[in-house]
Amino acid sequence: MSEFFVAVGLGLCLLVFLVLYRVIFGPGVFNRIAAISAIGTKTLIILLVLGYVYGRVDMFIDISMVYALLNFIGCVAAAKYLETER
Amino acid sequence: MIDRSDDIIIKTIARIFVPFIQLYALYVIMHGHYSPGGGFQGGVILGASLALLLITHGYDEIKRRIPEGVIILLGSVGVLIYAGIGLTCLLLGGNYLDYGQLSVILHVDPAHARSLGILGVELGVGFTVMAIMYSIFFDIATGGILPEDQKREEKVKREG
Amino acid sequence: MEVTLFIHAADDAFRILENAKMQAVGLLDTATRLTSETRWMEEKKVQTILKGAQETRSGLQNFLATFVMLMAFWALLSGKFDAFHLSLGVICSGIVAYLSHDLLFANVRVGDGRVIARRFLGYIPWLLYEIVTANFYVAYLAVSPKMPIDPQIIRFKTKLESDISWVTLANSITLTPGTVTIDVAEREFMVHALDRKVAADLDTGEMEDRVAHIFMEADHIYIQDVLDVSRIFAELKRGI
Repeated sequence: MSEFFVAVGLGLCLLVFLVLYRVIFGPGVFNRIAAISAIGTKTLIILLVLGYVYGRVDMFIDISMVYALLNFIGCVAAAKYLETER
Repeated sequence: MIDRSDDIIIKTIARIFVPFIQLYALYVIMHGHYSPGGGFQGGVILGASLALLLITHGYDEIKRRIPEGVIILLGSVGVLIYAGIGLTCLLLGGNYLDYGQLSVILHVDPAHARSLGILGVELGVGFTVMAIMYSIFFDIATGGILPEDQKREEKVKREG
Repeated sequence: MEVTLFIHAADDAFRILENAKMQAVGLLDTATRLTSETRWMEEKKVQTILKGAQETRSGLQNFLATFVMLMAFWALLSGKFDAFHLSLGVICSGIVAYLSHDLLFANVRVGDGRVIARRFLGYIPWLLYEIVTANFYVAYLAVSPKMPIDPQIIRFKTKLESDISWVTLANSITLTPGTVTIDVAEREFMVHALDRKVAADLDTGEMEDRVAHIFMEADHIYIQDVLDVSRIFAELKRGI
């Protein structure tokens, strides 16, 4: 069962690398912000899958909820800043 | 960034989320000895929730709910709780922050007293971290100038 | 003799038409005045909604409802139900509910909470089904070699009234693949759609009808339809 989760985690890491292309080469800052937000959602699922692999999901759920919160707040703050500065 | 804006989607979502974010932060502080968390992490999440309210609703809304003086006062109260627990343990005859001595006033066995002592200290740390996080964010966002002073300066410049 | 009879008949006919015309003009004047008054009341209501005015629920009711929801959330998060942790939960929920009791439930009409919650739970499976079908279509668009997309921006005026229903509709549109809500300004939605077909799916207005059904709104005469017809009336009035 844990091999299935490891495979899922590796597949999501591959997706993260695909989105990383937009972070590095995205023309302009809006592309980069959207790409970082997308990477944040993939990171959540990878954290939960790691929780299953190590057998202690209840700890990793707390961590992933905190990361989801901070991802959301960071995205809102960046968007607000760019709206008023341009 | 601090003025009122009418982005109705972000305002509605932020005002629905903020109580849940604050309750989650308090949960993280209280369950520091069972799951990942503790004082500092919970304080950061509390400060982030106040920052979210500040970004989306503007300065007037925050001033109406929690004035900035109260938040700085909470920061000092946090340090007072931390130092106070340490000094109480000192006065009761042990070392500084030796929670086992607290079993005298709380009437529980020393293991229990240690657990409660750490909980109290984490609470103090959480309050202080929340106050400082919010204060730093607020000072950076306004550049150290309160909107009231800015309006007064502009009025003086226009009339002078 | 026949000519005089004819002239009298024509006179009578013209007088009847004149009376009918005056009555019709009187009716049109009343109709325009009423629609302009309702238009003013509509705009005032929209302004109060945007200011976040809390019209119908009292503070204590809000506090209790927020307290119960936060306590349920705490019980969900912490799996320990001994007296110490539950008392901690009660204290924490009480403090947070006291500080933010007017955040969660502003602008909700009183007495409707349970019906709205039940209808919302029934709306979610339909939304999931829509997301899955749109997913397949957008995936087919993305992997076909010449990628036949046709991006366009759609504007439409909405008939929903409170800000929670605007937010629900905007989020549902954004969650469905192929459409993204760009702006919600007063009552006009600006949506970016990927293709003609997903735009046509949005234009039917089924999602808007379902969201109005959840929040029990828009079940009266639509003011905008009356206003459109009043313009046509004005044209006809000028032509009589």
